[in-house]
Amino acid sequence: MRKNLNIRMLVRLIGGLLQLEAIFLLVPLTTCLIYGEQDYIVFALTCLCAAITGYLLWRVYPTSRRMGKREGFLLTASVWVVFSLAGMMPFIFGTPQVDVSTAFFEAMSGFTTTGATILPPNENISHGIIIWQAMMQWLGGMGIILFTLAIIPALNTSGGMQMFNAEVTGVTHDKIMPRISQTAKMLWGLYFGMTLLLTVLLWAGPMTLFDSICHAFGTISTGGFSSRAGSIAEFGSDYVLIVICIFMLLSGMNFAMLFKAATGRWRLVKHDEVTCIYIYAILVFTALFAIGRFTSGNIHDWRDCTILPLFQVVSSITSTGYLAPGFTIWEPFILALTFIMMFSGGCAGSTSGGAKIDRLLYMGRFLGNELHLCTYPNSIKSVRINGKIVNRDIVAKVVAFLCIFMLLIVAGGTALSFMGLPAVDSFFSSFSCICNTGFGASLTGYGDDFLAIPAGAKWVLSFLMLTGRLEVFTIIVLFTPSFWK
Amino acid sequence: MRIVIAGAGEVGSHLAKLLSFEEQDIIVIDEDRERLDVLDSSYNLMTVCGNPTSFLTLKEARAGQSDLFIAVTPFEATNLVACSIAKSLGAHTTVGRISHYGFMAPENKSAMLNMGVDRLIYPEYLAAREISTALEHSWVRNWFELHEGQIILVGVRIRDNAPLAGMQLKEFASTTGCFHVSAIRRNHETIIPRGNDYMLAGDVLYITATRDRIDDLIKLCGKVKRKIRRVLVMGGSKIAIRLVNMCGDRFKFTIIDNNRDVCVRLPEKCPDADIVHGDARDPEVLAEAGIGRCDAFIALSPSSESNILTTLSAKEAGIKKSVAEVEDIQFIPQAEALGIGTVINKKLLATSSIFQLMLDADASTSKCLALTDAEVAELEVKPGAKITRAAVKDLHLDRNMTLAALIRDGHGMLVTGTTQFKAGDKVLIFCLAGALHKVEHLFS
Repeated sequence: MRKNLNIRMLVRLIGGLLQLEAIFLLVPLTTCLIYGEQDYIVFALTCLCAAITGYLLWRVYPTSRRMGKREGFLLTASVWVVFSLAGMMPFIFGTPQVDVSTAFFEAMSGFTTTGATILPPNENISHGIIIWQAMMQWLGGMGIILFTLAIIPALNTSGGMQMFNAEVTGVTHDKIMPRISQTAKMLWGLYFGMTLLLTVLLWAGPMTLFDSICHAFGTISTGGFSSRAGSIAEFGSDYVLIVICIFMLLSGMNFAMLFKAATGRWRLVKHDEVTCIYIYAILVFTALFAIGRFTSGNIHDWRDCTILPLFQVVSSITSTGYLAPGFTIWEPFILALTFIMMFSGGCAGSTSGGAKIDRLLYMGRFLGNELHLCTYPNSIKSVRINGKIVNRDIVAKVVAFLCIFMLLIVAGGTALSFMGLPAVDSFFSSFSCICNTGFGASLTGYGDDFLAIPAGAKWVLSFLMLTGRLEVFTIIVLFTPSFWK
Repeated sequence: MRIVIAGAGEVGSHLAKLLSFEEQDIIVIDEDRERLDVLDSSYNLMTVCGNPTSFLTLKEARAGQSDLFIAVTPFEATNLVACSIAKSLGAHTTVGRISHYGFMAPENKSAMLNMGVDRLIYPEYLAAREISTALEHSWVRNWFELHEGQIILVGVRIRDNAPLAGMQLKEFASTTGCFHVSAIRRNHETIIPRGNDYMLAGDVLYITATRDRIDDLIKLCGKVKRKIRRVLVMGGSKIAIRLVNMCGDRFKFTIIDNNRDVCVRLPEKCPDADIVHGDARDPEVLAEAGIGRCDAFIALSPSSESNILTTLSAKEAGIKKSVAEVEDIQFIPQAEALGIGTVINKKLLATSSIFQLMLDADASTSKCLALTDAEVAELEVKPGAKITRAAVKDLHLDRNMTLAALIRDGHGMLVTGTTQFKAGDKVLIFCLAGALHKVEHLFS
């Protein structure tokens, strides 16, 4: 007999997390105060609301502290929604002409590091709102739950394990330390360290401190947020492009691998197949881009076939979504290649989106084996990664993931075209959102980014972004009858 | 504490599970990936797939940096080699599971230390020792002695005829005074009682007392002291052989086994026991083996179910004490509820002795007692420990633990609210699963 869901425990934990968000809201609040902007009232109110609601929910005492798999899924999913709901408040009250669906889309796009912004262009947008957008991406990048696991010792149990599994990207989850809280601490420490380093490097360049913090947040989380209306191009600096490119590249790698490299175990990283494929893929795509650009004859200087293609490739494969200057007018052939990279995404265990290179590698090997078996039915073939045989169950899970992923893109695209969007744009938006890349529909040609989308479509896209970020199963499983039985 | 466990078999998994609840850093090594996946996905620990006797695997699991390395694979030789390698890599303490008495003999201790094996766990030996205690004190379920019997903790099931059944704890304390009810096991759950709780018929009470008051306790619990002489053993397992050799001529053993080859070889290992070939599940075989004249029945066959059921039918034949080996932990509460005198579980015994090692890595004399969801341990108070700072009532102890008694200057006494601990005291602690690390915290 299955036990009832431990709802009280979930409510209590959500309350605790809301209080945590209230603490994070202090950052934009202080920013507003520093710059002497009126928006501090908005943040103060949001912060207060989150803190009070959180405190009230936290007062719900559970009868048992048990956290099973189901509680883990439900908590992770609801925490992301609740965070977005609280996080959208400043947009509703702090910016003109923003309705609930737009604000929710914006918040979800921030937390899931999609980075698609639909706030109306506004000259007088406050620094508080900007830093909050950047911070949402930064928090969502490594994961809200993971952050909580790192700082709240009460979750250092098997319940915390379930949440870790539900949130962290990847096929299998490597722990780098024996206990979940230590693993979370190390990952967040690394994440924080990288952000700090990037901020300093950017600040040393042509950026102000404020801009460097925002861009560091947007880069390390692979969200692609920029504090300037004209994005990175506005700085017109190769130094910025290269530094950001390097850090995007790192953020697209498995953080457990980065941790091993940082602790002096280079050999493990050098021999990791997925990391190698990731690097090779970037090189190959850059070469193709460069050739594409070169043959088009439409180039001005050497940067057009070196730095810019590399930047664009890394930005696409890591699902960051920064656009290299002038990318929108590049050749359709290059756009097609971009699709492939958006789909693949970076390595599992990174902050990037997409289906993840690991899964494509498993899938590729599996398909190879199946084709071989057609001609030689008696031979025994197994999927091997890094020389080790991968269990068939895991391969099956990967195949299932890819199928659901595809179905969701199609379903999302269909739903959007029902709402009156042009077919190509519907499918591209749906694809871009589930991969958490956040390239606007301007790439495929209609209107200005996501601005023109009807309200209903924003909810659909928000759902797709969340599903993509939590890697499908965590969200989709909630819609199966057997979950609730 | 960083603990590396080699072998995710029954003992290893159980240990890993319990220790992860105790907030320790656990790394489990095994060759079977599927077994590890089960542990990895549901418990707060890390797993490494590989051979526990390979340098590569042990380095990957960072066995060299571990405070405790525990080798509990089913193979003795593997365990010893793994311990030896781990020690050479720099592990602080190594523990290996063995299955032959030879390794434990005092004269071989230095050889074992030279190999790099600091401690040994021999679950069969622990089980035999437990059974022998149970036979000597036939009126209790568990018997735990401290400091040459100065303090005794007993686990007793009380029935309607017991004078203390239905009594409130406060009342019991004011009328008798010299007992400490440390825990009550009721409906498959162990609770640490408070003054307002009642003792009911059917409960298993864990009572601490000084030696001179034990006879009073027997009366209060409505029990009679019985002398056990003739013992019938079902299954010629390793535990049975160990038991027969350990008890010498205190008891007269008859061993029944249904495997003829085992029976033929048994007289060599247990020269004083009578050996009968037959299936003990058959009442006629039992009668033929002389169940009618026996005082105790011990079921040690590999099947928990057979052990429980055969013990029940032996009870009908009028034996005074029954002991059954139940290896499936989930059956233990059921077996207890069915009225089996003492239940033996090798896993719990092994786990319990490792817990003791963890708590007090240098006291070789300390003992501990394993129950399904609680632990009893004896700990020495170190100078400056948190526990010495105030009287017991002002310490604000966790509700999941209780301090039952202490030994000071070789003299045993019970703990009351006003007791103030001093360095050098030995304290008997009863705590529920998951609270052991808090105890460790109090004493260090």
